[in-house]
Amino acid sequence: MAHSVKKYRGLMDWITTVDHKKIGILYFAAGGLFFVIGGIEALLIRLQLMFPLGADGESWLLSGQTYNEIMTMHGTTMIFLAAMPLIFGLMNAVVPLQIGARDVAFPFLNSLGFWTFFFGGVLLNISWFTGTVPDIGWTAYAPLSGTEFSGTGSDYYAIGLQIAGIGTLVGGINFLVTIINMRAPGMTFMRMPLFTWTSFITSGIILFAFPALAVGLIYISFDRLFDANFFVTATGGNSVLWEHIFWIFGHPEVYILILPAFGAISEVLPTFARKRLFGYSSMVFATALIGFLSFMVWAHHMFTTGMGDIANALFGVATMLIAIPTGIKVFNWLFTIWGGKIRFTTAMLYATSFIPTFVMGGVTGVMLAIPPADFQFHDSYFVVAHFHYVIVGGIVLSLLAAVFYWWPKMFGRMLNETLGKWSFWLFFSGFHLTFFIQHFLGLWGMPRRVFTYLPNQGWDTANFVSTIGAFFMAAGVIVILINVIISIKGPKAPADPWDGRTLEWSIPSPSPEYNFKQLPLVRGLDAFWLEKMDGKKEMTPAEPLGPIHMPSPSILPFFMSLGLFIAGFGFMYRGYEFDSALINSLFGNDIIAILGLAITFVCMFLRSVYDDHGYHIEVEELQKEG
Amino acid sequence: MEANQEQVQDRVKRGTIHEGPKNHIIAFVISIFLTLLAFMAVANTALDATFIKIFIVILAIFQAVIQLAFWMHMKDRGHFFQILFLATGTFVAITAFIMAIYWVWW
Amino acid sequence: MSHAEAHLDKLPPEPEKATLEGRNKVLGFWLFLGGETVLFGTLFATFLALRGSVLDGPTGTELFDLKLVAAATFILLTSSLTSVFAVQAMHHKNVKNLMIWLGVTVLLGFGFLVLEIYEFYHYVHEGHGFTTSAFSSSFYALVGFHGAHVALGVLWIGLLIIQLKVKGLNTTTAPKVYVASLYWHFIDVVWVFIFTIVYLMGKVG
Repeated sequence: MAHSVKKYRGLMDWITTVDHKKIGILYFAAGGLFFVIGGIEALLIRLQLMFPLGADGESWLLSGQTYNEIMTMHGTTMIFLAAMPLIFGLMNAVVPLQIGARDVAFPFLNSLGFWTFFFGGVLLNISWFTGTVPDIGWTAYAPLSGTEFSGTGSDYYAIGLQIAGIGTLVGGINFLVTIINMRAPGMTFMRMPLFTWTSFITSGIILFAFPALAVGLIYISFDRLFDANFFVTATGGNSVLWEHIFWIFGHPEVYILILPAFGAISEVLPTFARKRLFGYSSMVFATALIGFLSFMVWAHHMFTTGMGDIANALFGVATMLIAIPTGIKVFNWLFTIWGGKIRFTTAMLYATSFIPTFVMGGVTGVMLAIPPADFQFHDSYFVVAHFHYVIVGGIVLSLLAAVFYWWPKMFGRMLNETLGKWSFWLFFSGFHLTFFIQHFLGLWGMPRRVFTYLPNQGWDTANFVSTIGAFFMAAGVIVILINVIISIKGPKAPADPWDGRTLEWSIPSPSPEYNFKQLPLVRGLDAFWLEKMDGKKEMTPAEPLGPIHMPSPSILPFFMSLGLFIAGFGFMYRGYEFDSALINSLFGNDIIAILGLAITFVCMFLRSVYDDHGYHIEVEELQKEG
Repeated sequence: MEANQEQVQDRVKRGTIHEGPKNHIIAFVISIFLTLLAFMAVANTALDATFIKIFIVILAIFQAVIQLAFWMHMKDRGHFFQILFLATGTFVAITAFIMAIYWVWW
Repeated sequence: MSHAEAHLDKLPPEPEKATLEGRNKVLGFWLFLGGETVLFGTLFATFLALRGSVLDGPTGTELFDLKLVAAATFILLTSSLTSVFAVQAMHHKNVKNLMIWLGVTVLLGFGFLVLEIYEFYHYVHEGHGFTTSAFSSSFYALVGFHGAHVALGVLWIGLLIIQLKVKGLNTTTAPKVYVASLYWHFIDVVWVFIFTIVYLMGKVG
């Protein structure tokens, strides 16, 4: 029965892999790279704002245009190209292991999701080299994003995010089906670890939020490239419509990011407090409720557009409702560590510091949800402080907790704890130094999205302090990068370094390509902990040892995404005046665009026609590996 | 071949495969009827415009439900997640409709 | 009994759900349709918001030809029925009928496309181009997106017929047929709302 399958090595192995663990590592690598790029952009922003406008009226570092570009790319990169892929990386690395599955439901699509995200991100960042960078803010409000006020940079935004968005949608469907269909025997929904639950809900939100973004981005592209009139007021369009479509996607998006972060915290805290998670079922309920409510609050980003008091009141109240399930979660976390045997590892430090930091971000969120107050806070640094508290203080802190927690399982090496603690204190103190004072900057009247400000308005010192904080955060990230590099030669990780509770710790680190030699029998929540309490060393198998079916690697996802990437350029530059007549005719007649789409469709055709039978790992091989 | 058909009949009784064409044809006839009704309502100039709009939207929803239930087998067992996810998608779509009708122009 | 028939006899009653891969594919496709609901929902919402912005272009009342729409509706509705017959033929393991019904579905889908292209051509002639007004942009975006779905479906089901011819019906091809028929029904359901909200409501004014 054994099919011979072509095994690739080196770079080809990474390009063709359909193994969820390797794809998780790819997501980590790409997301980490974009995180560093976005971080450099953040440092430039803070450097520019370190000093007010000089006496000679000259900005000391960046021009207004460059600042706009850096600010736009910072937001877009951090949300779409850093936070999302890091979360997908974690989901890939952890979810199949936590539910006792050998693989995800669609290994091929998993790879496709990664490569479309990657090529979308690359396309967006190529704008730095062509000199036409998006300068419209990460929200790309119309009419600013129309042809009248912005150049090719807006096309990079619309088409880059469109391609990356396809990957996200595909990834979301993949995890939904994985969690619904691929759970191990005995793993009922109410026995799933909370990270899996939050990944499930997040994937659901992705499924329903990203199509709205796709449509909105298509409209922007149509308006810009084909002279459509969706957001052009002069021809009957409506620019507020874009704000609605963007936020119908955009608000769920922030919950897409925060829910897996909640899930990671809910895994780290019980492990290092040596107590089961307090209020498991209420945590599940709260997660589902947040997911549901996330679709009913989008217009709180638009209180000042003039929707009227009924709409404002409605969305204000709906927004405040979200504080209830979030509050449930916060109290459950506190009760989880209450009276526990706490070990302050790096992961635990990040996780515990997350709780008060996130609460601060949540509280300012409720303040912003009050429409009359929002008219004061709107577009001020108060808003900047608020969303950095929830996104950095919430998502990044918990992502770092998750990275330190699951790193041994992903890479088979331990991260250095001393360096980890150094990175924590640098990052954590730097974060509060940077952003706490920005609340006050906002209340003192400093507007957001400005590239400079006049001196002696009471903002000079606060901005200087904020920038110093940014350098502390940068130092923290550098220490993390050093930690990652030296971990390559670091101590090998045992299977269960933290005395964990869930299934991923019952298999070797890093896990073999088939994850579980025999699928485990799950007898309750915290499945592995249950077995350990019964004095067993490993899970009870639910099946006899047998040959394991594996999907074959494929290069097609890479080329499908490459085709979209090429087509993206074709569409972007179809109306552009090049010097060369040949290039002009290639783009002007849509030849490049058609060529790109043809590559994608040929790949889809090949995928459909040639059946992938995969291969089997035989019992003898499994026994040889011990 | 005849043995094959007996097996099929047997499975129909046990419910392991889907029934004959009857239900689907009924669904088709109902769909055609609802469509005709909608076209006729629009052609009838004596009716109030607002009434017609509400009436034909209700007809459309009804027709959609019938097609989902019969042709897409949603009425069969084991379709919990299908119904859950399609309903949630519809819910999000409805919020978008409300947005478009009330909060875009003022 | 020939070799192929013996093979068919071994096929389980619902071959599309016989393997985990098949079940994953069917469920995943359903979830995708949930996402498509939001996609079309947003397109519909945009149309609802912009349908009044006709500027100097023709209005829906002036433009729409309900006879043409009725014909298109009838064709697509019938094709939805034929695709359900195809799935039934598959459950009866009648590969020949399965291919015939899929073929009829493709032909009807193709007929629908021809009507739609004729209709668009006609509208552009009447001064209702893509760039005329916000109404026309949102009209072509919504109806054109649906049309693109039909075109993709025609190509997809056409390819499936060839695959059935070459590979026969098995646990790999069966989920593909099932999923394609789900897709086709979904397109029909979307059309129900298009003819109601775009055309009939446009005619009412």
